[in-house]
Amino acid sequence: MNSTATYEENKTVWQRIVSFLNRLGFSPLGFGLLILVAVMPNFYPFSQEYVIRWLIMGAFLAAQSVAFDFTAGYINIVNFGFAALLGLGAYTSGIFANTTPFLLFAPGLSPWLTIWIGALMAGLVGFILGILTLRLRGIFAAVMAWFVGIALMGLVNNLTDLTRGPLGMNPVKFIETPNNLPYFYIILAMMVLIYVTLKLVVGSNIGLAFKAIGQNPDAARASGINPTKYLVFNFTLSAFFAGLLGGFYAHFFGSLTPSTLMHTSKTVEVLAIAYIGGRGSLWGGITIAFPFVFFIEFLRSNLSSLPGLHLVIYGVLMVLIMIYYPAGFSGFYFWAAAKVKALFKKS
Amino acid sequence: MATKTSERPKTSVDLITRLKDNLPVVLVSIFSVILFILIGIKGGAPQIFNIIVTGGMWALLATGLALVFGVMNIPHFAHGESFMVGAYVAYFVFTPLNQFFLSTGSKLLIYSGPFIAIIAAGLVGSVLGIIIEKLVFAPLRHRTKEGWIMNAFLLTVGLSFILTNGTNLILGPNFRGIPRYFDVKPVEIMGAFIAVDRIVAAGIAIVTIAILWFFLRRTKTGRAIRAVSQDETGAQLVGIDLDFIQTLTFSLATAMAAISGASLLFMFQAYPTVGVTPLYFSWYVVMLVGLGNIAGAIVGGFIVALLQSGTQLFIGLSWQSVVPTVVMILVLILAPSGIFGSEVKGIQEQ
Repeated sequence: MNSTATYEENKTVWQRIVSFLNRLGFSPLGFGLLILVAVMPNFYPFSQEYVIRWLIMGAFLAAQSVAFDFTAGYINIVNFGFAALLGLGAYTSGIFANTTPFLLFAPGLSPWLTIWIGALMAGLVGFILGILTLRLRGIFAAVMAWFVGIALMGLVNNLTDLTRGPLGMNPVKFIETPNNLPYFYIILAMMVLIYVTLKLVVGSNIGLAFKAIGQNPDAARASGINPTKYLVFNFTLSAFFAGLLGGFYAHFFGSLTPSTLMHTSKTVEVLAIAYIGGRGSLWGGITIAFPFVFFIEFLRSNLSSLPGLHLVIYGVLMVLIMIYYPAGFSGFYFWAAAKVKALFKKS
Repeated sequence: MATKTSERPKTSVDLITRLKDNLPVVLVSIFSVILFILIGIKGGAPQIFNIIVTGGMWALLATGLALVFGVMNIPHFAHGESFMVGAYVAYFVFTPLNQFFLSTGSKLLIYSGPFIAIIAAGLVGSVLGIIIEKLVFAPLRHRTKEGWIMNAFLLTVGLSFILTNGTNLILGPNFRGIPRYFDVKPVEIMGAFIAVDRIVAAGIAIVTIAILWFFLRRTKTGRAIRAVSQDETGAQLVGIDLDFIQTLTFSLATAMAAISGASLLFMFQAYPTVGVTPLYFSWYVVMLVGLGNIAGAIVGGFIVALLQSGTQLFIGLSWQSVVPTVVMILVLILAPSGIFGSEVKGIQEQ
């Protein structure tokens, strides 16, 4: 009697935990994997500096794909200027934290503060971009975002007094340390923050409105959804987080050039991850990004005679997924989970 | 979308209303003429000729883009990569050929070398187009037509990624260029010395566009292409083989981009990402005149070249990509379907 009571109690506690995690957007498996990734760099094969760097790259890419999928997967507009928004955040943060006297502007604020300024700046441009794309759909919206991205990149290239143009600028680092581990926890925290925030938004009524707009804007308008509000909100939030990630990039790598950060091909990399991970899931990109970065870095270090092979694989995978399996990894997961469940029910 | 009214106003009183209806076209024409005059005053004959060369090339590229969009509804992002392939083919054909021809010493052979290279680029381009269409777009078309425009766009993005990085992998990031195609003195036109290469490039652009125009207007296959671009189902009903037409269109567009890449080899050296600038500018053209508008693309090519040249002359070389982009953003806001309006199926739906 007593033992069953505790069992019941245990069960409810477990269920409470699960429902709490669900509300934050994690399945128990997903949360377990997150914990695993979080403790990983403390154990031997993963505690080597270069592996931690890979993990950082993975988390950075994962977080980008979440912010990207928030627009592409829900309101069905591909933000082709995503990398430029990220770069805008990076440059803004870098400039505000800048201490180099020979540039026009050197306030020398702490990077911890400036990444938020960068994020706000990117969010502002995202807001404007959202307003610009209001009347446009599908390909036109994508092209508009693309053109805005090109214009931003050109601007950064030309405002040499602020950014040193193509020469690149060197923002200060978050922490003066030879270790990569602190940076890993910074980016991991950012990733979780972005994921949980966006998942909460998507899980609320706003998310439903996004999906309605993404599927059919006219029908959404007819059923009383104001597309203007939601579109602009979506763009702003996505751009804000892109800018935040840009701030991380700036103060982690400590070197910014327009072409390595803001070029369209950078957007394509994020797009590939988000699509392979599965559109409209947010978490698909995260699960794909880590193994992907490991695989790519493995290729790069073992087949250094073939530079750029990993990018070709990127492209081929993306094309194959788009033609033959548009649901992506998250679609595959749901399919497999349903199969497993059906199997258990039978026996 | 507003349909053009069929009754044409005849009297001069109605002219004003007609102008009002076509306000974007009028504004752009006035702007272009003013810009042209200003450039003519400041830059003189060389600058004007420059506009003709680049304008012709952008027109050639944009016609391909418009053709692919009009017939297949594909917003082609890998168009610049076709340009890149053309440049590479021309380099690898021209360099050894020129060596050989120079050793024979025959003037006729030497002068025919560049043309052989450009034709070879066109041929390779058309084959590449067929391969891409059969390998990438045909499977997707047979799987689903839902959300086609966006899916096709992202596929071409992936393609461009593969082609750029594949070239980088195989041939390396080196620049491969030639100083000039024709080793002769520049020709004097209106007091300015203009390289023969430029004249030939402009000539090739004009001839290719003319041939395409003739093909689309006067031949049975060309008419079939236009029929598909107007109404796919209707075209199928009268017995047009859609698969064939679509493959042909894609192959044509790729070949045209390759030809322009080949004939501009003296300006754009061949390297993996050489296609980016041509891609940008050909997209500016099609966004300016309306996606899928082939006739408009020819005019648009010259307008964009004017804009580019004006930026170079009055603002500075490094702003070359910023100013046209901002103008195109304005065009997208004010007239999303282009200044001439596009009468192509299925643009607004998806």
